[in-house]
Amino acid sequence: MTLRCEPWARADKRADKETLFSPQIRAEIDQWVAKYPDEWKQSAVMASLRIVQDDNGGYLTRELMDRIADYLDMPPIAVYEVATFYSMYELSEVGAHKICVCTNVSCMICGSENIVDHLEKRLGIKLGQTTEDGKFTLKEVECLGACGGAPMFQIGKQYYENLTPELVDSILDSLEQDNGE
Amino acid sequence: MSEQQTITVEVDGKKLEASPGQMLIEVTDAAGITVPRFCYHKKLSVAANCRMCLVEVENAPKPLPACATPVADGMKAWTCSPLARQAQKGTMEFLLINHPLDCPICDQGGECELQDVAMGFGEGISRFAEAKRVVASHNIGPLIATDMTRCIHCTRCVRFGDEVAGIRELGATGRGEHMKIGVYVERSVSSELSGNVIDLCPVGALTSKPFRYRARAWELTQYDSVAAHDGVGSNIHVHVRNHQVMRTVPKDNEAVNETWISDRDRFSYLGLYTEDRLLKPMLRQDGQLQEVEWQQALLESAELLKTVDAARLGALVSPGSTLEEMHLLQKLLRELGSNNIDHRLRQADFRGDAADPAAPWLGQSFADLENNEAVLLVGSWLRKDQPLLNHRVRKSVLAGGQVMVINPVDYDFNYGLSNKLIGAPADMVAHLAGVAAALGADTAGVDASAGAEHQAIAEALKAAAKGLVLLGSMAQVHPDFSLLRLLANNIAQAANVDLGFVGEGANSTGAKLAGAVPHSGGGLSVAGMLKQGLDACILLNVEPEFDVANPVAMAGLLNGAKVVALTTHLSPWLLEYADLVLPVAATLETSGTFVNLQGDLQSFNGTARPVGEARPAWKVLRVLGNLADLEDFDYESSQDVRDEALQSIGEIKLDNSLADTSAVAASLISTELQRIGGVPPYSVDMLVRRSSALQHTPDGWKASLHVSADTASQLGLMDGGSAVLRQGEGEITLPLVVDGRVPPACVWMPSGVPGSELLGEGFAAVSLEKA
Amino acid sequence: MKTVIHYIRSLFLLELFKGMSVTGRYLFKKKFTLNYPEQKAPVSPRFRGLHAQRRYSNGEERCIACKLCEAVCPANAITIEAEPREDGSRRTTRYDIDLFKCIFCGFCEESCPVDAIVETRLYEYHFEDTDKKTGAYIMTKEKLLAMGDKYEAQLAEDLAAQAKYR
Repeated sequence: MTLRCEPWARADKRADKETLFSPQIRAEIDQWVAKYPDEWKQSAVMASLRIVQDDNGGYLTRELMDRIADYLDMPPIAVYEVATFYSMYELSEVGAHKICVCTNVSCMICGSENIVDHLEKRLGIKLGQTTEDGKFTLKEVECLGACGGAPMFQIGKQYYENLTPELVDSILDSLEQDNGE
Repeated sequence: MSEQQTITVEVDGKKLEASPGQMLIEVTDAAGITVPRFCYHKKLSVAANCRMCLVEVENAPKPLPACATPVADGMKAWTCSPLARQAQKGTMEFLLINHPLDCPICDQGGECELQDVAMGFGEGISRFAEAKRVVASHNIGPLIATDMTRCIHCTRCVRFGDEVAGIRELGATGRGEHMKIGVYVERSVSSELSGNVIDLCPVGALTSKPFRYRARAWELTQYDSVAAHDGVGSNIHVHVRNHQVMRTVPKDNEAVNETWISDRDRFSYLGLYTEDRLLKPMLRQDGQLQEVEWQQALLESAELLKTVDAARLGALVSPGSTLEEMHLLQKLLRELGSNNIDHRLRQADFRGDAADPAAPWLGQSFADLENNEAVLLVGSWLRKDQPLLNHRVRKSVLAGGQVMVINPVDYDFNYGLSNKLIGAPADMVAHLAGVAAALGADTAGVDASAGAEHQAIAEALKAAAKGLVLLGSMAQVHPDFSLLRLLANNIAQAANVDLGFVGEGANSTGAKLAGAVPHSGGGLSVAGMLKQGLDACILLNVEPEFDVANPVAMAGLLNGAKVVALTTHLSPWLLEYADLVLPVAATLETSGTFVNLQGDLQSFNGTARPVGEARPAWKVLRVLGNLADLEDFDYESSQDVRDEALQSIGEIKLDNSLADTSAVAASLISTELQRIGGVPPYSVDMLVRRSSALQHTPDGWKASLHVSADTASQLGLMDGGSAVLRQGEGEITLPLVVDGRVPPACVWMPSGVPGSELLGEGFAAVSLEKA
Repeated sequence: MKTVIHYIRSLFLLELFKGMSVTGRYLFKKKFTLNYPEQKAPVSPRFRGLHAQRRYSNGEERCIACKLCEAVCPANAITIEAEPREDGSRRTTRYDIDLFKCIFCGFCEESCPVDAIVETRLYEYHFEDTDKKTGAYIMTKEKLLAMGDKYEAQLAEDLAAQAKYR
């Protein structure tokens, strides 16, 4: 027996792919599919999940994952595996701004606990929860690779480093205003 | 590799020969050196995620997993050096951290790989004082019980689904401590080989649901036997407790079933101990079947056989009967002067009897199925009908081969089909003739035009260095079977590929060899008997309402004849029509022999004690022979019967060539609405139909009529609504299911299922309307 | 000479008096004899008498049908049949101890992971009916549980007393 060297054998190709996603999304996914050999189409699953998640307001549903499975001719469970493995994929509804606070070693030493406490107090939610107005989701994550600027968090695609409670307040204020506009 | 190189490695100071590319664990396994492991399995890909097989290798800074370390010439490894032992013990301690201490209530207790290895490598005391993790289990169907808290994440089950079953239904979701094996979305697993994960699971996370809590490994006595529900003849171990079959598990036989068995073979034993199991002989007295003693029942039967006009005596035998039973039954009949015996109960077309091949078989050995470059399946849901043959065909697809189908229903396969021609039953002939025409072969008088798809199939077959045209069970029950067979034969010859048959039952090849067919002496086939009627009829392991092509005609036959039924279960029709029922032992309770589709002669002994007063059928037939004053019916054992049968068969020569290639006319004409019959995978015989667990799987019979969306809308029918199906005099009302797999102008209503006995033959013009 | 001494000794019934003196001595000593059944000997908490099956304090039977007792029984006296109960838990449907076969070795008690099967201090029982059909000599699950219910206080106390030696 050798190490796995062939793509997952699949059942028949399924579903009419045109109907699965909007043309823009299909074009985006196809761009990623094109980067891999034909038989390794499923390599595009991570990119597809991200594209679909962004389009769906920041989270994935089971139905969307099934569609990706159909689109890439993968078993649905293989898509679920990827989506549950990475913390960047959300499987339930999240707020407009997802605050990912790093609590890993460097940040912890530099006081991430204070930042978390402050965020929890200010937003009135615990880690893993979403504010009632649906604006913020607070999430604890592992190292985001910005130890030089610890403590830090990530909102959207932006890193915020060297955080202090005051800085956090100003960031959140500006975000709330943005949202109001 | 043309030249077989060998290299030498040294394990624990012993010099071992190996071939390049082998993993270290394969070499140590072959040499009988024990390396503990959980995730490694010889039939699955290497995952190396349990880390239990760590061994010390020279010049490697850290211990290496033996399952993922390829051997190299001159390599030195130690499997139980202090470093290796320390690594193994460390791994064991980590594995046990989250494993619950619930061995007393765990079904795996006593046959658990984790228990065994923990005895050798585990510490007596756990240093882990924190809370253990608990994982919620999904219900994944009626066959497999899940206790995922016990899971050690070896991923054997996941890899099995991916690599063997061909549909990945189980997966590992989450990460780290939160990783769990499951289906994510709760549903029943649908693989026809799913039961094998029970054997694969090294712990008690996946166990057999029907067997749950019923016995302990140490209470069971293991006997070898052969599975009786398909033509593979899988080798099985039967586990018996208190003379009762408790479960069946696979026995390794690389040439037949490798290490797997199908769910049907694994769970059919559940049909053994049902309420309608026949315990005592019964005789019809004053219109009622009354229990009588064996002596009386046998005397009455023999009296009947002696007095009946031999020309009006016939016998029907199920293709799942043993070679011995078939031999004795045909001998009994022929000595009585009748040749009316048949095992092809579901066949509808007997016009080709003169052309019948001498010993129809698969056309290739099972192992050769893996090497085909092109396979054309005609009327076959190979995946469900013969799961282990399908597994071999799937391997050929993974190796780059092509599989094409001509089917009346768009069955799902666990590999991609390079071409499929789905059409009404009548179109099957046209499609096959189209392929023949594309190959320039004789189209047997069928008006054929080769379309692009026919051309593509023809080309694939022609280009294949090794190929196969396989006639499945759907083709053999087709009203134009002889024509299909002739066309398939012409195609196979023109494309220079093999021609194969997959018959029904465990012993269809053996039945032909044993002479359980009428035409070796000019007797009546099933159709002939049904048409002409009989005065006396012997049924061996036959449930007349479900096992015969045309149950309506069968009812007529039973009505007019004295019926002697040798049966394991007392079905309603036997209760109504039979004059004498003699309880016989089921396959697992009797000794016998099956000839599988590649011609292996596999004998087995009885395992459990027959229920009640049931006796092995060969003994019953022997006594009947004696009481009917026939000669040479003195056998001491089933061995004697087998020896005699084999002597009359001589050397087993499997042969698929047709004795006569004259054409017959197509009899099936396209009508407005056509019924598609065929037998669902879990309705093939008496035992399987009674296995409640199998019936509750997605492949169990779901009492419904299947039509395509177009047909439904044309007839004004709704998905889920009730519909009445009328065929001849019979009618049945069932819920309607709109099913994309069914071609237009067809209703998929199988035979062999409850309700089908009202309708008659499987392929006929029918009408359908709203109930 | 020897014969003469022997003759004189027997003449004075010396042996008799010697023997009687032993009897006499014990006549005034403290008595060991118990007047069974009015008096009973003390019984050790480890005594292995008639079997019982215990329950948890919430009334749930302890036995989980692990069948270790059946496996360990040297006399094959225990017969267990099991299947999932309605709530899915592992339970026996039959738990028989054949008292003719049982040798009261106590292995079942020792092997039990949940202290379900125990041996009580009860040794006063009999059965006249040896008929296989009535099975009076079979301790069925019902009888065992009834025994357990009756003697639970004593059993719990005995087990607690022994806990540190197990």
